[in-house]
Amino acid sequence: MMIGTRLVVGGLLVALLGTGAWAQAILERWQSGREIGGQLMYLPNGRYLKVASFGYAPLLADLIYLWSIQYYGTYDREVRYDIVEHVYVDVIGELDPLYSDAFLMGSLILSVEARAPERALEILDIGMERNPEDWILPFEAGFVAYNQLRDFERAAGYYKRCAAIPGAHPVARRFHAEMFNRMGDKQTSYAKWLEVYETAEDDFVRDVAYSHVHDLRIEIDVEALQAAVEIYRENHGSYPASLKALVAAGLIQALAVDPEGESYTYDPSTGEVGSQSKYRLWRR
Amino acid sequence: MDKTLAIAANTFREAIRDRVLYLLLGFALLMIGSSIFLSLLTVGSREKIIIDLGLSAISLFGVLTAIFIGVGLVFKEIDRKTIYTIVTKPVGRAQFILGKYLGLVMTLSVNLVVMTIGFYLLLAYEGAAYARLLPAVGLTLLELIVVTALAILFSSFSTPILSALLTLGAYLVGQLSWSLRLLQDRLDPGIGRAVCEFFYWVLPNLWRFNIRAEVTHAVPVPPAEVGLAVVYGLAYAALLVFIACLCFERRDFK
Repeated sequence: MMIGTRLVVGGLLVALLGTGAWAQAILERWQSGREIGGQLMYLPNGRYLKVASFGYAPLLADLIYLWSIQYYGTYDREVRYDIVEHVYVDVIGELDPLYSDAFLMGSLILSVEARAPERALEILDIGMERNPEDWILPFEAGFVAYNQLRDFERAAGYYKRCAAIPGAHPVARRFHAEMFNRMGDKQTSYAKWLEVYETAEDDFVRDVAYSHVHDLRIEIDVEALQAAVEIYRENHGSYPASLKALVAAGLIQALAVDPEGESYTYDPSTGEVGSQSKYRLWRR
Repeated sequence: MDKTLAIAANTFREAIRDRVLYLLLGFALLMIGSSIFLSLLTVGSREKIIIDLGLSAISLFGVLTAIFIGVGLVFKEIDRKTIYTIVTKPVGRAQFILGKYLGLVMTLSVNLVVMTIGFYLLLAYEGAAYARLLPAVGLTLLELIVVTALAILFSSFSTPILSALLTLGAYLVGQLSWSLRLLQDRLDPGIGRAVCEFFYWVLPNLWRFNIRAEVTHAVPVPPAEVGLAVVYGLAYAALLVFIACLCFERRDFK
């Protein structure tokens, strides 16, 4: 090929490349304000996409998941929270029902960003139904119910479900035990914490569990003694002279000592029962 | 049998000289390797994405290789007129087809092993080289054995382009034949249901070789199921090759 011809061909290639880049740059500027991720909204249900994927449904689920991550990584989308269930349950969740991370991601977007805990729990409930052996979904559901809804009973149910799954993180049992305390059922909470303490496999968990057992024991005893003091006052018209009078009156069987072996304190002038030992946990 | 094996060995040698093979193998390894970059875009599921992409690449490029090389094997012999020298020798036409088929299966097996090694090297780098993924790769080979049989069957009586289209079509139908059951359930009892039933049993059901989702999610697959899938695949492929031999026996090379 002659040098002149080569120059013409080279010039033509550069010109074509330049034209393409110029058109691309203008299109990018024109389309920059558009809802580019909005196409996610128009994806058909995963059941139909599964047919069209010709055996590569998990791969298609991955690609849509990656697409969704980029979409939700940009915070100026108008419809971002309206289509969460569609993207993560109807599309990805149908393409690959065992895709736990998709359910988890959908619930995180709804609970943390959209502040819609009930919707987050709906996604997690569907995820749990399809992945009954994955502990992370009930664990997350327990946290949403506990932290955002303050629905301790519901949270306890999720943590119970989580703890029953083989391989679940041991912290689920601790959360489960603590939910009863938050519900006001200290006896059950104490029993659960005692179980955690007795079966703990490391010093950290044993120490944490002991702190709860220690404090709950004191709270339960003080509450029981305080209730007996009030009954005594109702029956006798005055506070008992000492806690031993409660035993003599048959209101309690014996005087309990706290987990550190100390007896409980009592002020006959105010009728107030207390503990010599300090609580181990800061929140009390 | 020696003649069949000789043709198979020759087909293998011929196939490994084909540039299409290396092009597809290169793309497959590139796709497997690219999963590591793709996984950078995700939040969680990194391991799942690498496994899904790797297993899909092995299957997809294996099928493409089976189609692109398979449909040309018989045609090349006819086009170059080398078929005349073969059929005039004491080599049966069925032996010729069987040899071609086995040669291509050998090529695809080597191809699959190379892709699997590449895949496992990547997984080892990621600390996720699980042995549980191997049955899925094994069943992919069964899928390729059936697709190769389809390619040989179609190429025994038609041109390469038509064979490629027919094989691709049969592959897609094989991926969707399970949906005939859905159609059947919506039809009233009668001829429609009988036709669905007939095609359900006659068409290849490639879904039987797809346990990629199960192994990715560590869902146990009973060994009996894998064993039956192997039996099904081998029986179906043998049937297709048998029909290919019958077609080729009747073919006139004038």
